[in-house]
Amino acid sequence: MDILEQRQGAVTVIKPSGPLVGTDADEFQQRLAGVIDRSLGRFVIDAAELAYVDSRGLEVLKAASDVLAQSGQAVRLASANETVREVLDLTDLARCFEHYQDVSAAVRSFL
Amino acid sequence: MPPDRPPIKARLASCLLSPGESVVAALGLGGAILMMTAIAASGWWTLHTNQESRRDARQLELRTVAELLAENARSALGSGELSNLRTLITAVAARHEIEHLSLALGDPAASQPDRLVIADANPKPGTRYAPLPDAWPSGLDPEQLTVLTRAGDTVQLDAPVPVPGKGVAALSLRDSRAFPLLGQWEVVAGIGAIGVAGMAALLAGYRAARSRFRALGAIRDALAALAAGEKEHAALSVCPDFGKEAREWNRLLEEVSTLRSRLAIDRAAGGSSAGTNRRQGGDLNSLCDGLWQGLVLVDDQLQIRYANGAAAVFLRAKRDDVQGKHLPSLVTDPATLEAVRAVATGQTRSRTVVESEVGDPENGRTVLRFSVRPVRKDDSATAILVIEDVTQQRLADEARQAFVATATHELRTPLTNVRLYVDTLLEDPQQDPRARADAMNVISTEVRRLERMVGDMLSVAQIEAGQIKLHRGEISLQPIFDELGHDFAKQAADKDITLKFDLPPKWPQVDGDRDKVVMALHNLVGNAVKYTPAGGQVLVRVSADAQTLTIDVADNGIGIKPDEQPMVFEKFYRAKDRRIAGVAGTGLGLSIAREVVRLHGGDITVQSEIDKGSTFTMTLPAKAA
Repeated sequence: MDILEQRQGAVTVIKPSGPLVGTDADEFQQRLAGVIDRSLGRFVIDAAELAYVDSRGLEVLKAASDVLAQSGQAVRLASANETVREVLDLTDLARCFEHYQDVSAAVRSFL
Repeated sequence: MPPDRPPIKARLASCLLSPGESVVAALGLGGAILMMTAIAASGWWTLHTNQESRRDARQLELRTVAELLAENARSALGSGELSNLRTLITAVAARHEIEHLSLALGDPAASQPDRLVIADANPKPGTRYAPLPDAWPSGLDPEQLTVLTRAGDTVQLDAPVPVPGKGVAALSLRDSRAFPLLGQWEVVAGIGAIGVAGMAALLAGYRAARSRFRALGAIRDALAALAAGEKEHAALSVCPDFGKEAREWNRLLEEVSTLRSRLAIDRAAGGSSAGTNRRQGGDLNSLCDGLWQGLVLVDDQLQIRYANGAAAVFLRAKRDDVQGKHLPSLVTDPATLEAVRAVATGQTRSRTVVESEVGDPENGRTVLRFSVRPVRKDDSATAILVIEDVTQQRLADEARQAFVATATHELRTPLTNVRLYVDTLLEDPQQDPRARADAMNVISTEVRRLERMVGDMLSVAQIEAGQIKLHRGEISLQPIFDELGHDFAKQAADKDITLKFDLPPKWPQVDGDRDKVVMALHNLVGNAVKYTPAGGQVLVRVSADAQTLTIDVADNGIGIKPDEQPMVFEKFYRAKDRRIAGVAGTGLGLSIAREVVRLHGGDITVQSEIDKGSTFTMTLPAKAA
């Protein structure tokens, strides 16, 4: 899985490409933990290239959501495709995240 | 149906106990009664023993008298001289208060006429003693010393008086002295005094015990109520008049109540008193953890008394460890610490705001805003810090300031040109028509430039506000690229740049806002022409499949550094390459273009290599046939 990190202003955008499953999810979790720690929560997950998510991937996203919830924040998901949104809805996890149509809108939400 | 009656035990308790007293007090009362019974029994036993002792002493006295008199009688009967003996018997009887004392010959059990009385302490009036015979029949067994019989208070004692060669006389003694149980007043008085003293001691002890037991009983009742779930302080407290224990119990209740209140306050404030896990906190704690602003409560020693989750993140400390830490160990900015110290120690009562920049080049800068204020106006020992992460706002402000500076410069240049040419035209109305036409051309170009810049700014404002709207319709692509070629032909020719178009033979259908798609393409091609040095080449290549229309705008210009490639789509961002320092631009074009294309469901990406050129790829979804 390719995981691209870039900064837009003070916001870190982390963009995984491919399905978030199995060991790829573990790798993404490690990268995400580093981003959370460094950015003080100012980050966006660009899900434009996130094909689909399995249970392990959901665990990773939920764990990140729980960490941020302790400091009154929420994980910002941008450009999630229909498949990912449906999985989040079915598992009742959609309410744990802030959803944005694109990365720019998500980044603007930090203003 | 008869009314319910309380059980016997309860009725007994209610009879024995006054209201408010407990069974413990009844046990004390029972103990007192038992003690009194024991004292009474001991007194009776003492009196009885004393009575028996007096009887025994009397019997011993009588026996001794009898034996002494028997010895005298034997001498007197042996010598025949009886007058002294009779005097002695009378005197002894009077002296020892003996009811009957006599000396007779013969068997004392025989009838009176058969006995010859020799001496009697209380002779009947007119009694004359018979002369002593030479010998007389024996009565008592001389070997049997003293015979003592007892019937009630009457004691009969018969002592044999053997007279050698004559016979055995009998000394008879009867005493009916009574020994009443209470006959000795000293003993009675002593026992009475002991009894009274014991009673008094018991009464005092009982009163003290009753008072204490009453307190213990009330405390026991309160504990039972506590176990049943009663928490009201008024219901659990006992009457302080019950004694020291009652007062101590009430004091304990007060302390528990105070501690409970403090704990509730601590929990409400998110504290972890005595190591309490913070997740056991109350609603207020959860509420504070739900805030994205950091909240920190410090005392006048700058000791952290409370910090919510966001504060722990901002201070880069573990949530469970931050409480109790010294603030300077987490915040190093002197201005911030000074502001907190001034408020916490009461030097200032007003709200103080300090911004502190932390971070490093690798992780990027972070700007934290600390708002410090007293918790309450009358509380000078604590301060509350509200910490906000304003990094993004700061960067946005800086970008806006940079934009204003850039825009001012960019707007001034065409305005200056317009003003100069207008002035020229106004000053010389008879100017050469060719010169006038050139001037009007310049003015027209600069006005269009101004119009485009103002349009860009408006687009940015609309995008920022989320108000940009698409006027969708079917787009004819071929004319658009024809216009592009026409619009940039002169600019490319002026810079000696080859502008080529590689267009498909068949165009897909695309739905969208024609003006905005044209604007995006203008930005891409315009940038390529603008940043490609003279003699270069710009190739616009269009390809299409069933789903996507792809437009590559490739140049062989100066290129973009890898670390700057993601940044070129940010608003107001301009590459730091010194070779473009003289090229006019606001840094808005690519940002607007990508936003617009994304609104259409497409995207713009860039691939570039420094000094070799850049390729911007724009994709748009094609309409299904």
